[in-house]
Order: sequence, then C-alpha cells, then structure tokens
Amino acid sequence: MNHEEQQVQLIVPADAHYVDIVRLTLYGIATKWGFSYEDIEDMKVAVAEACNNAVLHAYKDQEPGKVEVTFSGMEGKWIRISVKDQGASFDYHRRSGQPDALHNKQLDEIHAGGLGIYMMQALMDEVQVITEAGTEVILTKFLERNGELA
Amino acid sequence: MIKEKLTITKQITSRAVTISLIGELDLSAAPELQAELEPYVNQNVRSLILNLKDLHYIDSTGIGILIRVLKHRKALDGGFKLVEVSPKIKKLFDITGISQYLDLEVAGPSQERKEEIV
Repeated sequence: MNHEEQQVQLIVPADAHYVDIVRLTLYGIATKWGFSYEDIEDMKVAVAEACNNAVLHAYKDQEPGKVEVTFSGMEGKWIRISVKDQGASFDYHRRSGQPDALHNKQLDEIHAGGLGIYMMQALMDEVQVITEAGTEVILTKFLERNGELA
Repeated sequence: MIKEKLTITKQITSRAVTISLIGELDLSAAPELQAELEPYVNQNVRSLILNLKDLHYIDSTGIGILIRVLKHRKALDGGFKLVEVSPKIKKLFDITGISQYLDLEVAGPSQERKEEIV
C-alpha cells in the first residue's frame, strides 16, 4: 500500500452534462484508495452537489467557465475533494442556515433550496467552503476500519 | 447527447399513470423529467405512481422535483406514490427528510440486481 499523498486533477466545463464525469472519476479514485461501496455512493452525491452549485451559480450572466476538481488523499486513509470555480461567489453561509433540511416541517413549508449543502454535510466527514476569487468547496472523508478511524 | 442518462417509460390505465425512471436523475436529466411529468401532475383523474426500481442515482435537483410534484398533488388532492424504491435512494430520502411526506414502498428483498458504476 502506498502511504504517500497522491493527487489527481480534473478540469471540466461548468455544464450539467459533465458532472457525471466527475462522479465517474471519483468512483475510480476512491476505489483505488480503498473506500467502500457505501462510502463512495455517499461521496458521489456530495461531490455532485458541489459541482451542481458551480454549474448553477458560478457563471450566471457571464461566459461559461470551468470547474476544477482536485482529488487528494492517501490509500487506506483519507480522501479530500476540492471543487473550485472562478465565478461569482455563492452565498454558502446564508444557504447553509437550514441545518435540519426538511425534518420537522409542514409540507407547505418545505422547498429544495439548501438541500444540496445539507446533503454534503450529512454525507461527508468535513465540509469547508472558501469564497474568495470564486468558490471552493472542500469535502473530506476518512476511511473507517473496524469502526475506528484508520 | 449520445447516451441518455435517464430513460422514462410510461404505463397508463384508467386509474393510474405509472412512470418508471431508469438510470440517473441528476441536474442534466431534470428538465426532461419535469417535461414528462407535467401533463400528469396537473390532473387528478389518475393517480401518479413513480417506479424507482431502476433509478440508480438522485441528487438534490431530483429531490426538488419530487417536492414540487408532492405539493401540486396535495393541492389537487391527486394520488402520488413512489414504488420499488431501492435502499440507496431511500437513504437519501431519509437524510433529507422528504421520506416523511412521501407515500413510499421500498423494493422487496428479492430485488437483487447488479449495480452500475455511476
């Protein structure tokens, strides 16, 4: 097993039709680094939500841009996925002010806004958002072995 | 697009419209599904059933569509049900909290099937 930190980068157009390429790449890398099927399924949803936000919000009213996805990690230990755009900063902090998603609400009160961010938080171990020139979402998952962190 | 990610099939009887979603429901497939659902969401002659047996992936965009359909169907007093929901999809419904509003039947244990990569 390789215990050095590895990195793979992928740059895709900020277009909904390319988000599946990011999911496929994640599947390949996370499998290589030893993550379980369940973990990979969770991460696929979280990473796609980060990409969706870049596709929907980053380059509104301007030239279509790119999404830069960086997978870093260590075999058998952890994976960190950075999803970065160069567009308008998305107001994650305002949007993430709905920590309980749709729970404990009436049907007429619920809406889909903020669900993507909620799903990222629920499915990953750590979620960090940096909004400077564009938005960078950093998603981390640790590989668990026998119920303990590896 | 050369290969469609989501295939939608319909079965219409006098009492119900059953729409089966096969593949992946994500941001790129959402407009197609919305267009397909439109005529059936706004009528209460037939109840609306979504079969999710072969749906392998859903994101917040897909869940957003379900929320809108739910609200429309409730306002119209039209039936709306999800059937043969796989554990993988059910998990996301549970995490987001939409399960509590849905009339939902999970796929039975005999629903062994091969998983696809994405």
